[in-house]
Amino acid sequence: MTAYSRRDFVRRSAAAGLAVYGGSALTGSAFGALRGTPTKLAMQSAWVNDFEFLGYFIGMSKGYYTAQGIDLNYLPGGPSVIPESSLLSNKAPIALTTPDTTIKAIVSDNAPFVIIGAQFQKNPLGVVSLAKNPVHTPHDLIGKTLAVPPVNTLAIKALLKINNIDASKVKIVPYEYDPTPLLKGEIDASVDFTDDLPFTIKAKGETPVSWLLYDHGYPLFNDTVVVTKDALKNQRDLLVKWLRASRQGWVENFKDTAKYPNAFKDSYFKGNGRTIANEIFSNGVQKKLMETPKGIYSMSEASIEANLKALAAIGIKGNRKMFDTTLLAEI
Amino acid sequence: MTRASRPPASLLSLIVVAILWEIVGQLKLIADGAFPPLSDIASQFWHDRGDYPQHTLATIEAAGIGFVIGNAIAIGLAVVFSRIPALERLLRGIGLTLFSVPFIALVPVLLIAFSADTARIILAALAVYFPTMVSTLVGLRQIDPRLVDVVRAAGGGDREVMRLVRFRSALPSIFAGLRIAAPAAMLGAMLAEFGGGFRWGLGSYLLGSLGQANPARIWGIGLVATAVAAGGYGLFALLGSRVAGSTLGATTATTAGPEALEGGRRDPLWLRALFTLGSAAIVLGVWSVGLRILGISPVVAKTPLAVVHYLTSGYGAGDARHELWSALGQTIPLLFLGLGCGLAAAFLLALTLSLRPALANAFLPFALVSQTMPLPALTPLLVLVFGRGVLAIVMVTISVTFFPSFVTIAQGLTQSPQGPTDIVHVYGGSNLTVLRYVRLPNSIPYLLTAARLAAPRALLGVMIAEFLATGTGIGNLVNTARGMLDYGMIWAIAAVAVVIALALTQLVGVLEHRVWKRFGV
Repeated sequence: MTAYSRRDFVRRSAAAGLAVYGGSALTGSAFGALRGTPTKLAMQSAWVNDFEFLGYFIGMSKGYYTAQGIDLNYLPGGPSVIPESSLLSNKAPIALTTPDTTIKAIVSDNAPFVIIGAQFQKNPLGVVSLAKNPVHTPHDLIGKTLAVPPVNTLAIKALLKINNIDASKVKIVPYEYDPTPLLKGEIDASVDFTDDLPFTIKAKGETPVSWLLYDHGYPLFNDTVVVTKDALKNQRDLLVKWLRASRQGWVENFKDTAKYPNAFKDSYFKGNGRTIANEIFSNGVQKKLMETPKGIYSMSEASIEANLKALAAIGIKGNRKMFDTTLLAEI
Repeated sequence: MTRASRPPASLLSLIVVAILWEIVGQLKLIADGAFPPLSDIASQFWHDRGDYPQHTLATIEAAGIGFVIGNAIAIGLAVVFSRIPALERLLRGIGLTLFSVPFIALVPVLLIAFSADTARIILAALAVYFPTMVSTLVGLRQIDPRLVDVVRAAGGGDREVMRLVRFRSALPSIFAGLRIAAPAAMLGAMLAEFGGGFRWGLGSYLLGSLGQANPARIWGIGLVATAVAAGGYGLFALLGSRVAGSTLGATTATTAGPEALEGGRRDPLWLRALFTLGSAAIVLGVWSVGLRILGISPVVAKTPLAVVHYLTSGYGAGDARHELWSALGQTIPLLFLGLGCGLAAAFLLALTLSLRPALANAFLPFALVSQTMPLPALTPLLVLVFGRGVLAIVMVTISVTFFPSFVTIAQGLTQSPQGPTDIVHVYGGSNLTVLRYVRLPNSIPYLLTAARLAAPRALLGVMIAEFLATGTGIGNLVNTARGMLDYGMIWAIAAVAVVIALALTQLVGVLEHRVWKRFGV
């Protein structure tokens, strides 16, 4: 990747006079060098650079990964990047995924995946509408037009089924992540991240109404940390170190949710098409969806069971063996 | 039309359109203000000026590398093909397959198989390969036999004929191909970027900006992409006119008939059937072996056999077949409707412009915008103006088919034989009479050629509209399959789409052959 192996990034940002964070990353490298050459490790992210991945950016810029002996190659995602595919094509041994697609791939294709952590305890995905035409509950969707991103089709089918709503009573149309049709009333609601879209709606002078699928019968994790069985067997130690450095990044981030969006204005967030105010807002909201008493990424037995139960209701029969909580226990 | 009259005509039309655009935007006449006035776009552009250089350069770099690689392969192979026509016929299946496989199915597959940067270059190279190869091949074959005689009489062999006659006379064609290829490379690179996995690139910028409900930014990105594409187009137009003395308008030599493409011979049916079978066998062979060489997990990469298994005896094969059939039932009628409308629009436009040639240059910039503005960026505007039904599908299909069709048909309308034209004029006939008795009949074969080239694009257009706006048909099916990790369905749809596009191309090809024969062009 031309512009974004970490070293390149450090070099470029240093050249551009943005050396504050680059500098600390270099210090990190120096520590890594003392301990021996850091091991290269790639992770497949789920989307383009935004608030959702702040913990990893902090880990890279503050040298948390290098301190663990990891040279992290962070691969950004997008709508056509299927994170699970990067695991299968050996691009990266770690990917951030949606648990429903991952478990479906294990069940129906025998994909060699194991879930070792969950970034979001509560999936931020929800239904967003405007106060002037509100959708407060799943049943309010009856007779409405709902825009759904293709990747979330499965989740919406599940939501309707779990709430005993006839899927043919909701008009589902494709959603390409632009809220303009919602703001203009062409659609009644859209399925999007509730820690993000409400900001844009408020900025356009409307009042958003949103609720989580999590709170309406579909209690799933999101950005599940998925690794290949091969990596779990041969690189277990490195994966534990990755979890440790990543958690450290997130803990640092949530000390002050405005600090890092501002700090990364001219580096990780430069030219991402979004405003820093939006990143700060979203970072504040996501804090509540990620933090948990046992530490970020934890998966309690109760929540794993809830995930499996919800998926079983739509015919995806996973089991406890698809989750491995022992790595988190070693952090 | 004289050369001197060109710049003012374009400039004037640009100014008129800019003013109209501003008025329409300010008064929120289109889609309740979702179509922004130019001044909003300009001020947003100024606000974002720090972000553009890195994004634009990243796209230009990838598009440039893909442009060079794709065109080098295209021209090189065309030279080989012109010497060994049988090879061209055997490899034609691969070329057509790559030309007609829908990008929305191809992008995830490329992103799986290659690094993001490589995938972006491959997509740009693929976007330029086919048009340039066909243009070059036609150029190499359409030569003046007298020139060949001169070279041979002077003792020259095949090599001298290639160097002194064929390649030289092919230059205008090659440059015409390169001109069309420049915007195509930009769009190819941006499509890959829009699929994700990139930190920099205009397509990534677009993707990151979508959620902001900021149409001025979206249009700014589209116009920057258009400016770069137009720059590439202009550069090769200029080089073409310098190097080859080409003064033709926007033309690709892909407009020649099947005779030129096949070296002027027509073989018996059994031999043609054999070539078609061989060509298909090579496609299937490359598909199977290629995946093995790339070493991708069979969960993701489905071979032809795996696709057959998926649709016949695999887990849930019955459901998959049912879904695929009902989706095809929605897509295919709209394919014919969209193709018909696209060709009709191109024909009407070409006709108007043949009567008022000065309009042609004025129109070109807007034709280019329609070719480089990435469709996902226009989705909100599209659904707000045209809704989410048949109309949206037809409009998108027109927008992706009319440009190449228009160029081809316009060439047919302007390249009328001088003799008959003179006869009409001598007998006092007007330009309209010439149009009716000479140009229109003369353009019918070109219309069919346009249809042959437009058929795969029409399928692409229908699928894009289905996955962006209506949520129906195989366009939507491939999109949801992507979201559900249903790799078998992704490959099945890619294969079915190629088969439909090829069948339609073949069908038009047969019609075309008859017409060319009858009109004896």
